[in-house]
Amino acid sequence: MSEKYTYTPEIPEVFRCRVPLPGTHQAFLMNGKLRDEEGQGSAATIVAGEPLGFNLNVSKGTIMPDSLQIITVRDSDNTEPISYTNNLTFGAISESNILLCSHTLSMDEFKTESEMNINVSEGARVNIVVMQNEHNRSSHRVRFNINLAKDSFLRINIVSLHGKMLENEIDAKLTGEGATCELNGIYLVDGTQEIHTTVNMHHLVPRCTSRQLFKGILDDESKALFFGKINVSQDAQKTEAYQANHNLLLSRKAKVYAQPQLEIYADDVKCSHGATSGRLDEMALFYMRSRGIGADEAKILQQLAFVYAVLEKINNEELRQRLQDLVESRLRGEFGHCTNCSMNCC
Amino acid sequence: MLEIKGLHASIDGKEILKGIDFSVQAGEIHAIMGPNGSGKSTLSAVLAGREHFDVTAGEVMYEGFDLLKLSPEDRARNGIFLGFQYPVEIPGVSNVNFMKTAINEKRKHMNQPPLTAAEFLKLMREKMEVVEMDKSFSSRGVNVGFSGGEKKRNEIFQMAMLEPKLAILDETDSGLDIDALRIVAAGVNKLKKPDNAFIIITHYQRLLDYIVPDIVHILYDGRIIKTAGKELALEVENRGYDWLINP
Repeated sequence: MSEKYTYTPEIPEVFRCRVPLPGTHQAFLMNGKLRDEEGQGSAATIVAGEPLGFNLNVSKGTIMPDSLQIITVRDSDNTEPISYTNNLTFGAISESNILLCSHTLSMDEFKTESEMNINVSEGARVNIVVMQNEHNRSSHRVRFNINLAKDSFLRINIVSLHGKMLENEIDAKLTGEGATCELNGIYLVDGTQEIHTTVNMHHLVPRCTSRQLFKGILDDESKALFFGKINVSQDAQKTEAYQANHNLLLSRKAKVYAQPQLEIYADDVKCSHGATSGRLDEMALFYMRSRGIGADEAKILQQLAFVYAVLEKINNEELRQRLQDLVESRLRGEFGHCTNCSMNCC
Repeated sequence: MLEIKGLHASIDGKEILKGIDFSVQAGEIHAIMGPNGSGKSTLSAVLAGREHFDVTAGEVMYEGFDLLKLSPEDRARNGIFLGFQYPVEIPGVSNVNFMKTAINEKRKHMNQPPLTAAEFLKLMREKMEVVEMDKSFSSRGVNVGFSGGEKKRNEIFQMAMLEPKLAILDETDSGLDIDALRIVAAGVNKLKKPDNAFIIITHYQRLLDYIVPDIVHILYDGRIIKTAGKELALEVENRGYDWLINP
């Protein structure tokens, strides 16, 4: 069992995370520094990095019974730009469920940069859900460096709810035959918020699979960039690689820049990529309204339906429902300020 | 119940309905037949309030008030139902939640309290029987992964739940095999009451073997070119539309 992290008095009381599930173990990273360094459980050990960040290790053959939630928080104790590295290592044939949340607690202008080195050993299965909910003066850039060994499986679902500027750069290397990498994301932006998603998927050896599905809803003058590239090396025969990016624009001034790319040097592969951007579907809205559902409600339902294809990929049903509720309240405009915080800073 | 006078409608400047007149009384079943492109689906969409079309002339009175002034949702809340030719899929929204939202919006409009969970589920079970729908449908996303026949049955199910005064069914029979057609028709017949009315839009006489209309209209090029009793449908089946179009 991994060490159970609980709220400590030093965590400001205004912070209420709505995501954790019963039985979820928690660890807090306050302004980059891990609270409590005693996480030497047998399922997952988590220790502070030097000087900042954390090192998470799931040993060989370990099957984590519950989820581990790591909550990254920025607050007024340190308003300087910070950068740190997290190392996540998953031993052979282990199974893990990790939830990574990021929040901001004070109205300061935060700049956070983190590296997330994820190593998945032979035959390991890892599910990671990333939930980003920061205020409108916070910029956060995360670089995911992923390495997948033989027959391993990694799925990352990123739910970006709020933030001034969120950048997720994912560099994934499939280095062992039979590895599978699944990357999915939802981003919801409005006002002048901006989100960048960069994916470089490298198929280096034969018989690996990668799937990517990113969906975004943009309102007002918000902006989204999606740059996605699948590289298939000459040796990587029998590769299956798919990538899709779909965007729903609710306003004329919102902008999407999508650049899906394929670079294939092998000749026996199945690959596809695509990007779309569109508006709410008039026919679908009419269908709902013709059942007596008001125009505003019909629009919300359609937006929920639009991102559902990504939510559906979160395999923990309880967690999926909670995230769906958060997405819904975000779409309903109930995030005027972060619901996790009473500072009214956004 | 419904009175349509000189109704003209167009899309992107192209006139589709070129003067429609007819009226529907409570307790009646009207059938509207006509070749492709004659304006049947446009008529149903205009009656249900689709904003895609511009009504350029004419009026539609429903239960004594001006129907064309109402939003689609207010028409629905006042008892108009449109069964779609191509029902829309709404992933992530279960049939239960969709219908609960729809029913409670209607009840709110009528100053009634929302149904309790128990009342709602009882109603749902009752109405699912009308169209012989499997229980598993209720938790699935609206129309997601439904076959053509299941989608049409779902339309009739929704109609049964909402208990409209005036139901307009747009080519509900298209793409149905004979069993699904029988279930859909039986559903309509079970829901028919002296105080409601149906407008059935169809290509074929086939559906009208099961749902017997009181009045049949032939729509061609945006106008009703003939109105008669149920025997007209049979005559069209035997002789086609040509004798009506080029008399």
